[in-house]
Amino acid sequence: MDKRHYFLRKIANTVLTIVVVASFNFVLFRILPGDPARLLLPRGRWDAASITANEKAFHLDKPLWEQFGYYWWDTVRFRFGDSFKARLPVTQVVGERILPTLLLTGTGMVFAILIGVITGVFGGWRRGSLFDTTATGVSMVFYSTPTLWVGMILIGLFSVKLGWFPTGGLEEAGAVYASWWQHTKAILDHLFLPALTFCLVYIGQYHIIMRSSITGVIKEDFVLTARAKGMSNMRVLWHHVFRNALLPTFTLIMINLGLVMSGAILTETVFNWPGLGRLAYDSMMQRDYPVMQAVFLLMSVAVIFANLIADFCYYYLDPRVQA
Amino acid sequence: MIPRRLKYWIVLWTPLLWLLLELAWYPKDRYVSQGAGRMLGGFIDGRIGSYPAWLLVAGGLVCLARGIWSLVRDPARRRGATVIVCAGLLLLAWSLVAGGLPHWSASSHAASFGWLFQTVLLLLFAGALWIWGATFSDRAELLVWNVRQVWKLFRSNWEGFFGLCVLVAFVLIALLAPFLAAHTYLDPNAEIGKPYSGSSWSYYRMLGVDEQGLSVWAEFVWSARISLVVGLMATAISTLLGTLIGIGAGFYGGWRQEVSMRTTDIFLVLPWLPFAMVLAAAWGHSYGLIIVIIGVTSWPSTARLVRAETLKLRKLQFVERAKAIGSTNTHTMRRHILPNVFPLIFANTVLVVAIAILSETTLSFLGLGDPLNFSWGSMLRNAWQSGAAGIPEWAYLVAPGTAIILVVLGFTFVGQALESVLDPKLRKRDRAVADRPDKGGKRKPGSTSTLSRPTVAGQPTPGLREQGADLSPISGGDE
Repeated sequence: MDKRHYFLRKIANTVLTIVVVASFNFVLFRILPGDPARLLLPRGRWDAASITANEKAFHLDKPLWEQFGYYWWDTVRFRFGDSFKARLPVTQVVGERILPTLLLTGTGMVFAILIGVITGVFGGWRRGSLFDTTATGVSMVFYSTPTLWVGMILIGLFSVKLGWFPTGGLEEAGAVYASWWQHTKAILDHLFLPALTFCLVYIGQYHIIMRSSITGVIKEDFVLTARAKGMSNMRVLWHHVFRNALLPTFTLIMINLGLVMSGAILTETVFNWPGLGRLAYDSMMQRDYPVMQAVFLLMSVAVIFANLIADFCYYYLDPRVQA
Repeated sequence: MIPRRLKYWIVLWTPLLWLLLELAWYPKDRYVSQGAGRMLGGFIDGRIGSYPAWLLVAGGLVCLARGIWSLVRDPARRRGATVIVCAGLLLLAWSLVAGGLPHWSASSHAASFGWLFQTVLLLLFAGALWIWGATFSDRAELLVWNVRQVWKLFRSNWEGFFGLCVLVAFVLIALLAPFLAAHTYLDPNAEIGKPYSGSSWSYYRMLGVDEQGLSVWAEFVWSARISLVVGLMATAISTLLGTLIGIGAGFYGGWRQEVSMRTTDIFLVLPWLPFAMVLAAAWGHSYGLIIVIIGVTSWPSTARLVRAETLKLRKLQFVERAKAIGSTNTHTMRRHILPNVFPLIFANTVLVVAIAILSETTLSFLGLGDPLNFSWGSMLRNAWQSGAAGIPEWAYLVAPGTAIILVVLGFTFVGQALESVLDPKLRKRDRAVADRPDKGGKRKPGSTSTLSRPTVAGQPTPGLREQGADLSPISGGDE
């Protein structure tokens, strides 16, 4: 497939998917039981004036297809209305949650990749050894464990029983820090357990993928040649085997990259971490529909873009795609 | 002549299946403490087998159509077909009773004599299988041989066997729930002690007391039911959708493939958890909804797998031959494609159950489950909300968590073992690998299922499959 064709096709797919997801968002909040004008108002403020005002603001007095047009116009301008709970524009409420989420998922993901890849490489290299069996067993167990449970056990063990770390949140409420260093230290303190939870749950995937692709590459002829040349074990491993075994792991990283926004809903909920996931949970519990709408759209778009980037990178990395 | 083993199997499994159905419907208001007579009476309780009338009508019509079809077409099947027609008529009669005759309604499941209908139907189906075995003894022989072969290979895979044992244990807990813990212990006012007053040597307090003063053991036992049922039913929906869409897309090609693959891609990139949260917020909280949500969000991976396999099969000679002698598309798909993708689907289904159970835990934990019923996820939610991690009530946290891990691991192990046993290609490749240690284990381009190393009969697998992760680039559906 020639290059321009490939790229255009992927971009067209992405645009199509975003359009479908956004339209779906529109439909979903219109088929909710009840009148959208009321649903988009906090409970107890259902007087005629506010309902009419709301109908005007969300163009609910227009026919459905016109509403659809207005919905798109608002979405493109990032106007999602006001949050019921915070009484602030949704963009602001969602915006201030993005950084904490990225901090948590970023830290967790980096460590998961590092640890998972390294244990995977050594496990695949010495297959069946004590280290390999232990590491694979542990990662299988963590893979089967619900995230929320890992989080609860860690809180019980390290925060409550041992008192080493705070139980949740980003920083102590209302605390004033003497210096930026103190502040950073407090945040890192709070970050440790959620990031550990996130990391533990994702290690397994990287370990298992890396291990199996290493095992596959080891049997190739060029590895035998490299050994025959008299290269040292570690040099064969890192210069020949590792590089050739990276592709599946790279794919997995790219797939998980889309989860930086939506991957930590459970971790954030358990640890009360003020990120997007916690916002999604809270807005669901409080029926804060404008916020839910925006969060869902943001999370879906993040995944879709990550896939687009993965496809682009794949074009250069995987010769099979170019053929 | 019916093969000897098939005869034994029918004699052994019919009562077991009967027991399974009876226990699944066993009424909740009978307890062991009420005496053996009352417990035995539970097996012929009126509420057993209260299926909704529409399901019975559908089943009856299918049986009737199938039976009449073979009666007309194939005189050799006369006896078996008669039995199937009888079963169909019985199902229809049952649906009349279940619908509540004077004011019949399709959604009603007014139960009476369900146990009797259920038992007679089971016997009829067993009889039909017996007659089938006697009429087509060569095919029955082959079936017996295949099943035994698969079982032999499966048994020798220690991970799969271990997983199966764990699963049997948990299924037994779920089925025997009325005998293990009285359902009254789940009533909000059935306190057995002060909240979090710890465990002791009494039966209902062996896992301690929860935040309302209820028995954790009773909750644990009854949760097993909900968790397993939700996992299995969601998987059924997901597999059905995935298989139909995958086979259709792979077989037809053209615009149909394009449309269904684009749909699959869109569902594949939707982050399922926020999606499920939005749906649940819209339609209220219940386990029925959770089943539908998990089913509707988890089919795309199955569809891709099935489609890839169908594409491979479509080019093979027996499909060409079927086309050449004028088979219809439906016939080719049903008789040639489906039986060949079936092993793959079967192994994949078991793996999907593991994911569905994890999803159920997640959704229940987020409070999307039915607040009136317990599942392991909602137990964890209660523990979390009441801060059980801070109180020395470890059993309350550890019991449901461990149960989930064990069940998920069990399904994963069984699925992986089945995958390596059922796929003849993998077995053959493995033999080739054993012959030539320098070759093999190479990742085939475009293969979605990357078994690290399948089992050789009689040897344990050291390898574990990369589960869940679909390794081909997500929107590259057209290699």
